[in-house]
Amino acid sequence: MIHATALSKNFRVYHKAPGFWGSVRSFWQRQYSDKPAVKAFDLEIGKGERVGLLGPNGAGKTTLMKMFTGIIVPSSGQLSVLGHQPHARSRDFRLRIALVMGQKSQLWWDIPAMDSFVLLQRYYEIEESTFRRRLNALVSLLDVAPLLQVHVRKLSLGERMKMELIACLLHQPELLFLDEPTIGLDLVAQRKIREFILEWQREYGTTVLLTSHYMADVDALCERIVLVLNGQKRFDGGIRSFESLLGRQKYVSVSFEQPVDTQSAVWQPHDPQWQADGLQVELRIDEAVLRETAMAIFRDFPVQSFSMEKLPIERVMHQLLQETEVL
Amino acid sequence: MAGTLKAEWHKWWATVVINWRRLLAYKLNFLLLVIGPVLVFFFIRYQVWAGIYRLEGVDTLQGYTFEQMLAYQVWVMIVGFLALGFNGMNLAEEIRLGRISSYLLYPFGFWPFQMASFLAFQGLQLLVATVTLLAVWAMGWVQLQPLALLQGFSLAACVGLFWFQANFVIGILAFWLEETWVLRVMLVTLSQFFSGALIPLELFPKALAQALHWLPFPYLTYMPVKVFMGTYTGSLWQAFAVLLLWTLLVFGLARVVWRQGIHNYTGAGI
Amino acid sequence: MPLLRRYALIYREYVNNCVAEALSYRLHFVLLIVMDLLFYLSLLGGVDFLFQHLDQIGPWNRQAFLFFMAFMIAVEHLHMTFVSENFWAFSHDIRTGKLDFILLKPAAALFIVFFRAMRPATLLLGLFPWGLLGWYGSQLGLLWWQWLLLPPLVLLGLALLTSVEILISMSMFWLVESMGINFLRMQLQQLSRWPDFIYGYFAQKFFGLAVPVLLVGSAPVRFVLNPHDTSGLLWLLGLMGLSWLLTAFFWRRGLRAYESASS
Repeated sequence: MIHATALSKNFRVYHKAPGFWGSVRSFWQRQYSDKPAVKAFDLEIGKGERVGLLGPNGAGKTTLMKMFTGIIVPSSGQLSVLGHQPHARSRDFRLRIALVMGQKSQLWWDIPAMDSFVLLQRYYEIEESTFRRRLNALVSLLDVAPLLQVHVRKLSLGERMKMELIACLLHQPELLFLDEPTIGLDLVAQRKIREFILEWQREYGTTVLLTSHYMADVDALCERIVLVLNGQKRFDGGIRSFESLLGRQKYVSVSFEQPVDTQSAVWQPHDPQWQADGLQVELRIDEAVLRETAMAIFRDFPVQSFSMEKLPIERVMHQLLQETEVL
Repeated sequence: MAGTLKAEWHKWWATVVINWRRLLAYKLNFLLLVIGPVLVFFFIRYQVWAGIYRLEGVDTLQGYTFEQMLAYQVWVMIVGFLALGFNGMNLAEEIRLGRISSYLLYPFGFWPFQMASFLAFQGLQLLVATVTLLAVWAMGWVQLQPLALLQGFSLAACVGLFWFQANFVIGILAFWLEETWVLRVMLVTLSQFFSGALIPLELFPKALAQALHWLPFPYLTYMPVKVFMGTYTGSLWQAFAVLLLWTLLVFGLARVVWRQGIHNYTGAGI
Repeated sequence: MPLLRRYALIYREYVNNCVAEALSYRLHFVLLIVMDLLFYLSLLGGVDFLFQHLDQIGPWNRQAFLFFMAFMIAVEHLHMTFVSENFWAFSHDIRTGKLDFILLKPAAALFIVFFRAMRPATLLLGLFPWGLLGWYGSQLGLLWWQWLLLPPLVLLGLALLTSVEILISMSMFWLVESMGINFLRMQLQQLSRWPDFIYGYFAQKFFGLAVPVLLVGSAPVRFVLNPHDTSGLLWLLGLMGLSWLLTAFFWRRGLRAYESASS
């Protein structure tokens, strides 16, 4: 679906000294520099894959998305998406992709969403009966039937996001790009959107490429993770192997009946995160030493509750950004 | 092929319809937009010219009686309705905020989208123009001659095409410039003045009026107005030919600019 | 005094930001100046061409008429520099719900809404209208006290125009999409660019009393040319006060109608 080799993109930026006189000076002479956003990026994505593009702000994720969808032109390197060169933007290519942008709306702001859907029906040349069927399915899945006739500017963010999803899926794209689809939504709405996308993907085998800052999105939707740091690929593999990048570890949360000695040697090797009052701690413990450590804790401290789960992907991400040498 | 033609037609029509919806979503706003020229005509043009003729007690100004001046100004308003759209007003903003990204992803181009939006607006303007014209005609301020009407409408349609494409070129300059409305306003100011939309070219100094004929301006208002009035003496073919030539020129320009622009586009913050 | 000082400081920051923004778009900056210049020249050109065929319009000859035009251009120059951008921004803010941010600030929202944006490029062009005013004024042989009156009268005209426009803009709360109102505003400006005596009886009354845009230029210019003619100026002051009261009223009503479009 996507083949990228040595893909790069540079942006030109200009610098201005702060303040009034800085503005005046920059009016006469400007200093420009090239800022590389993506550097020599290789990527292969096959049909039906669900891939999460991870990385901090400014890592180059959105730039990659924009190149994959043909919105911007790469500075160098080879790129083929669905057998097309994206920035040629052939009609066939555009018919087969969709991009959901959590921060932008493609719906017409001043009229009901239904009007926008009808327009999209024409743009994507969808038969009337097919259109009705798909629309009904989408609308009932997302439970938005009463909202179709409401002016978009009066919808809540969550409602609007559902409408955006419908707008992007009406033509059943083979390749779906999701750029922070759940940004700003409450937890319930986030979960709903996630479940919906997953269900949709299972049904139609859509290839999905996702960026998100919510690890729960990634955890729920992706089976493969590509980590981008400073425009370069730093990891590419299954989500399970991503989790075990930091070694095979478990995430343990312990709370106590009374404050305990936070300086004890038992905690030190396990990256302890203390609650201020010393009543609760979160630990990352290697599976190899899990049993003996747990036993030591139970023996030496007044444990009230003890819970253990695999390392949440958020902790992995957080840790990786601090210790990039692991990669 | 017939199938795809039909599909294309559907896309155009759907775009026209959604533009109508959008324009009519705020009805009072729309009314103010289209009725503006009528207000300007009654409250400014009519009053000012009546004042000038009344206060000075003159019968003719450079061959225009008050009735003829009034008719001239009526036709200026009608040509304005037929030829001037608001496309391009939002175009630059759409590019600057990166909203154009959506159109780049649709299997329907940006130019057809803009063109269909323009046609949608012009359709409504045509309606307003017709109603206004009939009202003014009923008051006896203008005479309607079928042949002149036909010629005038065709000429005005060409002017509309020119304006659309000129606005389109200016709008897509937003790929490089942060704001393009300045260029648009400049062009409108210049052409309002030099096309005879404010005062007829006969009142201009001789040398200036002659020099103007080398530029597209007189073809944008003065000539269609004279054609509508039935007092145009030059060659009609020449008027069409010159106008089409200028239109082709901007079409070519738009093509070049679009190609370059889309290549440089960075999709600011998508 | 601290209140005024506080607002002066806020205003200084607005100006700073506008300057920084304006200067970062170089071509735009230059084009703005050219655009304004073209606009002024087209206004003068129209009147000048008319006077090639006429000696006098009503009570005024060419000099007096062009002096009036120069006065109006001086008013519009200040209007474009300090006010006009804000009306467009206001309608945009209402439609998109961005007005929320302004309402949250601990400063008078009306002040922020209508005075936050200015156009530095246009300010640079100030020499042109004031030069014109000087040129045509000297042709009329103005005396020293008449010269002294000019700047405050231009400001007064600007104040009236702005007050009327702000009052009209209150309707944007209910209209939401307000391109039409902005066009109406511009048409009223166009109306004020001709001296009041050129209009018919009813138009004179309506635009001198109900929507008093004809007073913007005509009242002050009459006063300069003939200081016994104070009635126009008194009307100007009275109606401006009234428009402030009405604005305060409709602003409060408007905020109650404001729906703050969803994020």
